[in-house]
Amino acid sequence: MRITSLFARGAVSPLSKFLLSAAVAATPVAFGSAALAQETIRFGAPLPLTGALAPEALKQQQGYDLWAEQVNKAGGIDVGGKKMKVEIVYTDYQSNTPRAVQAAEQLITQEKVNFLFSPFGSGAAKAASTVSERYKVPTIASTASSSQVYDQGYKYLFGTFTPNDTLTTPLTELVVKQAPDVKRVAILARNDLFPLAIAQEMEKSAKQNGLEVVSFERYAINTMDHSSALAQIKSQNPHWIFATGYINDLVLLRKQIDDQRIEAQVVTMIAGPAYQEFIDAAGAGAENISSAAWWHPAVRYEGVDIFKTADNYVELFRAKYNATPDYAQASSSISGDLFRLAIEKAGSLDRDKVRDELAKMDVVTFWGPVRFGPTGQINSLEPPVFQIQGAKAIVVHPPEIKQGELRLGVK
Amino acid sequence: MFTLQILANGVVLGCLYACIAVGFSLVWGVLNVINLMHGSFIVLGSYLAWGAYNALGLSPWASLAIAAPLFYALGYLVQRGVLNRVIAAPVLVTLTLTFGLDLILNNAMLLGFKADYRKLLLDPPLGSVAWGSVVVPVDRIIAMLLALALTAILYVILRKSRIGRAIIAVRLDRDAARLMGVNVATTYAAAFGLGAAMAGCAGVLLALIFPISPLSATPYLGKAFVVCVLGGLGSVPGAVLGGLILGLVESFGAFAFGPEHAVTLSFALLILFLIFRPQGLLGKRGFE
Repeated sequence: MRITSLFARGAVSPLSKFLLSAAVAATPVAFGSAALAQETIRFGAPLPLTGALAPEALKQQQGYDLWAEQVNKAGGIDVGGKKMKVEIVYTDYQSNTPRAVQAAEQLITQEKVNFLFSPFGSGAAKAASTVSERYKVPTIASTASSSQVYDQGYKYLFGTFTPNDTLTTPLTELVVKQAPDVKRVAILARNDLFPLAIAQEMEKSAKQNGLEVVSFERYAINTMDHSSALAQIKSQNPHWIFATGYINDLVLLRKQIDDQRIEAQVVTMIAGPAYQEFIDAAGAGAENISSAAWWHPAVRYEGVDIFKTADNYVELFRAKYNATPDYAQASSSISGDLFRLAIEKAGSLDRDKVRDELAKMDVVTFWGPVRFGPTGQINSLEPPVFQIQGAKAIVVHPPEIKQGELRLGVK
Repeated sequence: MFTLQILANGVVLGCLYACIAVGFSLVWGVLNVINLMHGSFIVLGSYLAWGAYNALGLSPWASLAIAAPLFYALGYLVQRGVLNRVIAAPVLVTLTLTFGLDLILNNAMLLGFKADYRKLLLDPPLGSVAWGSVVVPVDRIIAMLLALALTAILYVILRKSRIGRAIIAVRLDRDAARLMGVNVATTYAAAFGLGAAMAGCAGVLLALIFPISPLSATPYLGKAFVVCVLGGLGSVPGAVLGGLILGLVESFGAFAFGPEHAVTLSFALLILFLIFRPQGLLGKRGFE
């Protein structure tokens, strides 16, 4: 505690900072015997609990807490024959990425966590991965999709999101196959990290599949009116409208598409329709809107994890939080359980052994099949494409778990 | 034809902006209070319409009749009970006070309604009307007409009624008004009440158009600021004019430079006005 507060006040010179952190780094070795005697397994989770990203942090926290609760209810994790309870140690980095790195370091050096979850999103996860790599702490990123997070040659970082293009490519291929007359795509993206990245992937997928991108426009954060952008899109007569943003943007956009009497064969929106809130707020307008996400309550896998199936996960989640989980919460929960599976296989809390088990992992879970590629990013998952049909999200791809066919025509 | 569509979009949007801003402008102009609660009042009005429709089956038009007196009373009490105590202090004091009150109100709404975005969905939906290839949604037309009507009523109240004359008198010269027997404290409370009533009614109308969440309060407040600076403080016709300009600039700006620059453009305009015409188009100098 004292060390960080010194850092925070800037009372320490860079050199002594270095020496101090070197000393801190050495501490776990010196007190190694204390670690052996511990009764609980500690997982560190640096999260943006306050500030702009707080809603996202809350989702992750719900996911971790639900997992911890379920594991402890079952007696804990079996570490070489001894059942140990789990504990999640949270620190708030106030939606400030540099502080996320500090928070991760503090969790490792002062809170003496055994394992770490990454902070929220690709940027912070990448920044903090340097710290966990230095201390050789196995770390799972539950909300980082950019492949740039994983291409640093790090050995201790794993991630449960596939790259962004795995959301857009299957969707494009599906549309091209089912609707060969869809040729013209209009893309409208929120000028913001993730929504823009997804839109750019869509542009690539469209071009690779021989579609013509008739427009690619960005709108500013907090835009209250899309009528001009939509009037332009209407004049280009696209067959496919692809819009990205968050739920408020997409609810407004959906209404204005209707207001302007724009019709298209396919209307795709990312990331709103993954939430029940979107279906409620868009009403009849939600019908036939397609989307993709890393996970959806409608997916059907028989897992070896503690939650087993999506249905069971949703039921447990509803009982605890009175809400339907989306991919952010599910990813956090499965991240926890991947640690459990690896620890039980390793039969020890040894970080290197657990790291090796994670790297070798090949299991099916309620989240989907889990195998990590050479970079540590998951490469086994096929994110579901889904469509709102009859006010419900119906999985239309991949074929193994699909519940219906993609319907064309959005009015 | 395409230009006509953009023009129609701009005019309708402009009237919505006017509707957002007129109460804010009145309070700022008359009381010299920058009411940072204005955005939250609008959101609260939207929740009123949403709740009344979903729970009681009341149409938004009926909610308007409830919202006006309710928000008038709310505004009156806030001014009478809290703001009047520091009304003579520099503008920063009242600004800080409304900032604090807004934190309380907004967080109370977050607790009560959660941050989820909701939408007032009329059954059956109102749809849109078309003239040639120009399409305008009916709910926006109704909101526009009602906003103009409310603004006209406010204008008449200020010009013709006793309390309206008192508000204008206090605005022109507080001390002289007091010497003429005007009860300044009551007049302030009435003006703030009218501002809050306009915000509440705006919220009811906007519930048909925008997703509803406590998080929307800040964007509403931002628009109100820009409209006031463009149109001139305290002037009801100024708010309408400012709203129209903002709506048109955003519509044509989005069309000409791409939608990501619409907001940039409106704030650039704001800066130009602050430099070259700080009193706004219809404001009077020395009134800011």
